[in-house]
Order: sequence, then structure tokens, then C-alpha cells
Amino acid sequence: MLLHIVNRSPATSRVYLQALAGMSPEDRLLLIEDGVQGALPQLVPYYAGLEGRLFALREDLASRGLLGHCDASVQVVDVDGFVILTEEAERTVSWY
Amino acid sequence: MQEPHDDGDLLVILRHGPHGSSWLKEGLDAALVAAAFGRRVSLLFMGEGVTALIADQQVGALGQKGTAATLEMLEMYDIETLLVEAQGLSRLGLSRDDLMLEVECLSPVALARVLSGHRLVLTF
Amino acid sequence: MATTEIYRYLSIASQQYAIDPEGYLVNITEWSPEVAKAMASEDGIVLTPEHWEILEVLRDFYARYEMAPAMRPLVKAVGQALGPEKGRSIHLMRLFPGSPAKVAARLAGLPKPTHCL
Repeated sequence: MLLHIVNRSPATSRVYLQALAGMSPEDRLLLIEDGVQGALPQLVPYYAGLEGRLFALREDLASRGLLGHCDASVQVVDVDGFVILTEEAERTVSWY
Repeated sequence: MQEPHDDGDLLVILRHGPHGSSWLKEGLDAALVAAAFGRRVSLLFMGEGVTALIADQQVGALGQKGTAATLEMLEMYDIETLLVEAQGLSRLGLSRDDLMLEVECLSPVALARVLSGHRLVLTF
Repeated sequence: MATTEIYRYLSIASQQYAIDPEGYLVNITEWSPEVAKAMASEDGIVLTPEHWEILEVLRDFYARYEMAPAMRPLVKAVGQALGPEKGRSIHLMRLFPGSPAKVAARLAGLPKPTHCL
């Protein structure tokens, strides 16, 4: 299982398509930096099919005032959770 | 869980075309350095990166060197696994006949498998 | 990488050739066999036909790929051009002691190889 990390918003960048193309069915996706916009209910459909495997970084949501706006299907993790996700994955792959 | 495939030591994903930025050059440099030290390197051209392979590229408008000669050189560094995202090609209306090198086109499933199969993945 | 910094000049028959801090020609178009001989003698190397054929392989490589090769591709290129007996690092080590890819690129008037340390 790989942990894929996306730091761009699906509203402004097509990088999310590359991440999706690179994902195996068991892989996980973590949204960080501007990527956390993808956790909003309006944008989360871009990640349809990733239920249970889609994460967003709490600190980046909070700093953008988006913590309360997150879709319920997205699992919010803090930096410690990020570390755990990294440890659970064989490797991480960054898409930026 | 699926066992990792032993495709090689390093997968370099190239997602940018020639001339527009230095990303492609830097990705190729990373691949060449690893290959010079005996690592088994695969290249995956994704998205706009597929345009790096288009045949008949010229120098830039200001005479700046492109990357085509470097791509020709890959075989001298024993980098022979050249993979291309099939959707990246078709999105631009390109086919394998438009490319300067022999490549393997990857379906979405095969592409994800390649990522799992390398011990290290670098995206450029 | 090619640099433009001039460190010193190499004088050959009243001609001055700019040399960079690592001993490479600053202007690679100034290269001639005379320059190669002068650089080699500074290194204590007398160029024999066996040296010259390697320098030619390097110049062909650069003309084709626009880069100076690291050691592994140099060995491969030499093997392809001159046969497997010569396409071995030991052969290159004997001719261009120390770091053959760098020494030979310097004498061939190429920029420093990019992909070796």
C-alpha cells in the first residue's frame, strides 16, 4: 500500500488526475496544503471511489479556516496521524 | 495485499514537457545520476510529460538546448524501461507513431502497478 | 557543466586558451589536437593512438548527445565503437588514470561530465 500525497486543489490543478491514475485499489490519498480544498463537499466528488482511503491534514484545514467545512467522508488527521499513515505505507509518492 | 513487483530500483515520473520549465531536465538528470551509479531506472511519462517524447523537436526560440538529445542518450546509461501513460497520449491526440523512442504504453491499472513495483518513486 | 569562469590561460605557440578552475576549456570550440596534447602533458600523459581513439569516441558522443558521459556510458560507448576489449573500465583507467570520464572529457575539449561525482 502506497500513501499518495496531493498538495494542489482539484479546483485549480489537474494533478489530482495523475495521483488517481497512479493509485492502486488499496492505496491511500492524503490532501495537504492547498490540496485540502479537495475535502470540501463541493470538490470531494473529484475523489469519488476513495471512501475510507481519503485523508486531509488538520493543520492545513485549520489554517485555511476549512476545518468545519470538511466532507464527512474525509478522515481528518493531524501531523502525528500523517506520520502514522507514512509508517503504515510501504512508500509515499508526492504529486505537486 | 499484492506483493511488490521487482521492476527496478527507481521510477522517475516525468510530468512536464520540454522548454516550458526545467522540471523535465531535472527529472532526467536524477535518472541519469542514478543510472550512472548502477541503479536500475525506469522512466514514466505522464500527463504533459508525454510531449517530451514527440519526434522532431528543435532548439528553443532563443536557441536553448532541448531534451531530445538527452532522451536519445538514455540507452547509453542503460535506461531502457520507458513507460508512457496511454491516456496522457490519447488526451493530446498522439499515438506511439508520433514518438521518437520505442515505449511501452500503460493502461491505468498497469500504471498503478508500476508505481507499487519500484522501491523508490520520484515525481518531477 | 560548462563554466564560463576563467581561472588561467594555457599558452600554445602564442595562442592563449582560457581554462576554467577544474581544468576544462572555457570555450569548447577552441579545442584542437594541439590543445589536447598541451593539456595532457600538464597531466604527465603522452597521448598515444590508444588515447586518441578514446578522445574521438568522446567527441562523437558529445556531438550526438550534447553531454559528456559519466563512466558507465563512456565504457559502453567505447565498447560499441572500438570493441569489447577496449570497452572496459580497466583500459580507460590505464590510459586516463584517476577519474577517466573526467580526465578524458577534459582532454577531448568537452565540458565536465554532468552525472558523476
